[in-house]
Amino acid sequence: MIGKPTVIPVHKTHPFVAFGTPKPSLLENRILSQPTTIIRQATLDMAKVVEFAKDKPSSATRVCYTGDTGAGKSHLLQQTIQHCYAQKWIVISIPRAFATVNSTTPHTYDLRTRTYLQPEFAYQTLQRILTVNEAQLSTLSSLQTYDLGRAASVPPTEKPLTIPAGSPLPDLIQEGLNDSADAPLVLDALMTELQAQEQHPVLLAIDDFQALFARTLYLDPHFTAIQSYHLSMPRLLMQFASGQRSFGRGAVFGALTTTNSQFPISNDVYLALDLDAERWASPYDKHHKPMQEYLKGILPLHIPTGMTPTEAAGLFEIWMGRNALFADGNDALFLSKYTDSNGNPRNFVWNGLLRSLEGSPLVIDRRKPYPQYNLA
Amino acid sequence: MVHILGIKLNDGQRARFALTEFYGVGHHVAHRLCARFQIHDQAKVGELTPFQITSLASFLSSPQTAPPLPKFPLATRYYVPPPPSTPLQKLQEEFREKKAERDAEKAKQAAKIGIQKLPPRDPLNNLKIESELKREIRDNIMHHRSIGTWRGRRHGMGLPVRGQRTRTNAKTAKKLNHMGRFNT
Repeated sequence: MIGKPTVIPVHKTHPFVAFGTPKPSLLENRILSQPTTIIRQATLDMAKVVEFAKDKPSSATRVCYTGDTGAGKSHLLQQTIQHCYAQKWIVISIPRAFATVNSTTPHTYDLRTRTYLQPEFAYQTLQRILTVNEAQLSTLSSLQTYDLGRAASVPPTEKPLTIPAGSPLPDLIQEGLNDSADAPLVLDALMTELQAQEQHPVLLAIDDFQALFARTLYLDPHFTAIQSYHLSMPRLLMQFASGQRSFGRGAVFGALTTTNSQFPISNDVYLALDLDAERWASPYDKHHKPMQEYLKGILPLHIPTGMTPTEAAGLFEIWMGRNALFADGNDALFLSKYTDSNGNPRNFVWNGLLRSLEGSPLVIDRRKPYPQYNLA
Repeated sequence: MVHILGIKLNDGQRARFALTEFYGVGHHVAHRLCARFQIHDQAKVGELTPFQITSLASFLSSPQTAPPLPKFPLATRYYVPPPPSTPLQKLQEEFREKKAERDAEKAKQAAKIGIQKLPPRDPLNNLKIESELKREIRDNIMHHRSIGTWRGRRHGMGLPVRGQRTRTNAKTAKKLNHMGRFNT
């Protein structure tokens, strides 16, 4: 089981296609033609956690994958998404959480919620949730009537938007898709419904988890930075991650990204998730109390930096099978790259296998002036 | 294609960059303008709403007379918003009442201590662009000329003003430094 290569069959309503994947995974999937993964010990641990979580509220299972750079945190989160999707969970994935805080989507201040709404991001999230989970959402109906008022873009002569109790959830989502100005309200209503129902467990998977707890690039009209918990999308994700809101059944999984220099891991995340015990913490380091409150109770799940030889052999088979190696793979090549990379999956693949011109000995052909690589 | 105060802004350009087309608006002022009107960093000019465009145009036509920006309240951790059907006018009235109470309290505290609290400075209120800015620069040069300073004489002669060499080079100053330089 451990080290076994596995192909993930994707189609247009698969979470990897509808929600997307982080950029490194996207590039790997393009090179490999389809998403492929190996079973690691961490995968088996994840499966146990998912089994534990499936009948409990999500506030009981709030996990964040931690580990060194290139250890496989995002990859394990992708495996978690696939595992839950295969078990017919309702899957909500945010593969690039920094997109909610890097000032790339419109934001407007809303006096009612006292936050900055992000209508376009909410609109796209609703669309993707419906695409991926239509089958499960069709079995659910709204438990209460939602009187969503009137969006700012709608003329005052139009009737307010009201969604009666008993409406199928796809119809609720469709109301939000009719006008992006209504999307934040409808997304909030959908999340409220998913909190109340216990028929299907819900997975909320957030990659680039640390970006939610860092300084955002949005600026308010007074030119001061807007905190992430004052933006509607990050606030929603942080409320579920902190346990303030909880799905009836399900879990919240996050994964840190160590390679995002624009949104590095903050002191608060280091402290809350107990990362890097050797990091010297000065008493003068700034801490942000609201962020610390949002981070309380999140369980760090550490991914080992290096793969075992069995796991690495499975990864080697995947790349060998896709003819990604320059020449025929052999044990010497595998062991040398495994040793060079210390078992780190990213270094093993990107800095080892894909950058290597090693392989079979050169072929000497008297008709050609120089020894040739054996490309047969 | 958007026209603001006679300046053409291309739809495909980022708004934060396109605003630098205005004479007197650089990258920092453009960033402040975008923040003031809640235009995110990656917004293109073609994606701006009509409300944002008219707000920009009315602000840039007269920055000094723009109303002061209120400080809107932000949600606390466990804030529960009123239902969505609450009319916006009611929320605005409540906000204005609370603001008036806070301002009255602050004025009372300031009067007790005996200090006069100045309103917060907004750098954009002193913004001058296009013809107004050119007029100011022209007036400054005329002032130097009229009081007979060295700088005024150098402008009048069309030579460098800031102590550069004239034995060689000085081509730019000879081309550009003249009294009618900033005529609109």
